[in-house]
Amino acid sequence: MNDSEEAGPALDEGEVGIVAHSDFVSKLPFDFESGGQIPELRLRYETYGRLNKEQSNAILICHALTGDHHCAGVYGMTERKQGWWNFMVGPGKPIDTRKYFVVCSNVLGGCQGSTGPRSINPETGERYNLDFPKLTVRDMVRAQALLLDSLGLERLHAVIGGSMGGMQTLQWAIDYPERVGRYIALACCARHNAQAIAFNDTGRQAIMRDPAWLQGKYESDAPPGHGLAVARMMAHITYLSDAGMEARFGRKRRGEDSAREHFEVEFEVESYLRYQGQQFVSRFDANSYLYLTKALDRFDLHGPDGSLDATLAAVQAPGLVVGFGSDWLYPPQANREVVEALLRLGKPASYAELALDAGHDSFLLRAPKLDQLIRTFLDR
Amino acid sequence: MNPNAKKRQVDFQVIARWVKAGDRVLDLGCGRGVLLESLIQKQSVYGVGVDIELDKIISCVKRGVSAYHGEVHGILENFADASFDRVIFSRSVDLLEQPNATLAEALRVGKYVTVGFVNHGFWRNRLSFILRGRRIENEVYPKKWYESQPTNPFSIDEFDGFCKSAGIRIVSREYLLGNWRDTCPFLPGLFAGYAIYDLTKA
Repeated sequence: MNDSEEAGPALDEGEVGIVAHSDFVSKLPFDFESGGQIPELRLRYETYGRLNKEQSNAILICHALTGDHHCAGVYGMTERKQGWWNFMVGPGKPIDTRKYFVVCSNVLGGCQGSTGPRSINPETGERYNLDFPKLTVRDMVRAQALLLDSLGLERLHAVIGGSMGGMQTLQWAIDYPERVGRYIALACCARHNAQAIAFNDTGRQAIMRDPAWLQGKYESDAPPGHGLAVARMMAHITYLSDAGMEARFGRKRRGEDSAREHFEVEFEVESYLRYQGQQFVSRFDANSYLYLTKALDRFDLHGPDGSLDATLAAVQAPGLVVGFGSDWLYPPQANREVVEALLRLGKPASYAELALDAGHDSFLLRAPKLDQLIRTFLDR
Repeated sequence: MNPNAKKRQVDFQVIARWVKAGDRVLDLGCGRGVLLESLIQKQSVYGVGVDIELDKIISCVKRGVSAYHGEVHGILENFADASFDRVIFSRSVDLLEQPNATLAEALRVGKYVTVGFVNHGFWRNRLSFILRGRRIENEVYPKKWYESQPTNPFSIDEFDGFCKSAGIRIVSREYLLGNWRDTCPFLPGLFAGYAIYDLTKA
């Protein structure tokens, strides 16, 4: 036996290649946890790999706040932009599509094809906008369960997700213990602290105080783009780390400091964030952002007694929670707290902490140890 | 398996004898989870390992052993009184920052606390210092002082003294000779290379 037990490098990695999305449509009314109902539900999703005969190899991936169902592959030969977790999902990759059948859906309340605030209410022919019911992480998970029902997936080999996806993952393990074989929650928490809520609300205020917001009734060609861009810029800072930003941007300047206006883009970091803000406006809906961030703020696994134990008692599956040292949005302690409660309850659970400097977004960047952890936990 | 790995697991057999089937076991400084894996498989224990090194945690995950990546003292505070049947320190007490405080916490959390440690008062260690004026170098102490992490080695006599002063009851103990295999029949303070104690609150 090799004492170091290093996993060999993946020599034969491939790509999932060209993928296409599908839509699951339920014509039955969907009831929300906090009250309210929508007459029908649509979830857009993608799958990779093949379901085995025993139907025992399905993995559900839950995406983060601004992610979507497109986590691997490309949509066409000429497209260069890959799915958001392409390095993680594919033949020979940690979530190996030669072994596993992978499902990823856009969340309920999202804006990439699933029913959300900007969807048309079939009963009125108008967009829901602020008439969309109050949304929770639990609602997202229950909608995913309906999707899995439609695919005939009784039980999952694993559920995995980071950030908001990590919260959904925990909710899955709590709400559907009999359907979850194991779970991995990355960069997650059991609830937002005051700082996380504060950042989210400041983002929401930026949107709602944009004159173009119009109480959510903006036209699609005239969204509250300024507010949404500022919300994104600020949120984006919380996804990075001080050290990571310093290494990447420092005080680097854009071009020569000549006859520029005083408040135009001067530093690289300004340029980067403004670009991120603009990009975001072109792909994300402001009302969806409001609903999803609010769902995150309201997420709380602590019971009335202030402890996690009552809620997590329902969990049966073995779990792995991964925190990232430089994540100050959902810091290691917030991840650890979940595992500490699980271990107190006598559940099988592991906690690992990775010293990466990419902040909260560390789970979105390729790192050998993260690969190794995920592969090891899924495959054993 | 290399001989060092073998030697590292010298106390596993003794510990396995003391553990009862179905026990809740917390292994502090669990390494790659070899002990817990065997206890889980053979004695159906609920086991949790704690280690500070990520690679060790990954090995535990591979073995299907629940593992917590972090400091030993911090995790103990998380658990209720007597919530584990046994808390194990296998060659990890000499790495603790505050051995007395952490052992007290372990005695609170565990009904029994098992401590396996290298007897620093072993005759060869003493002789090395007397004759050569240097600490011994062998497979137990493989590195020079300037290449090794800070450790806090102690002898059987010192550990006995600690248990007495802290009011810790010694339920049983076993001494192994310098080969870490055969039982040490007499004068363990001098002739035992390794000691395993089973402790509980007085």
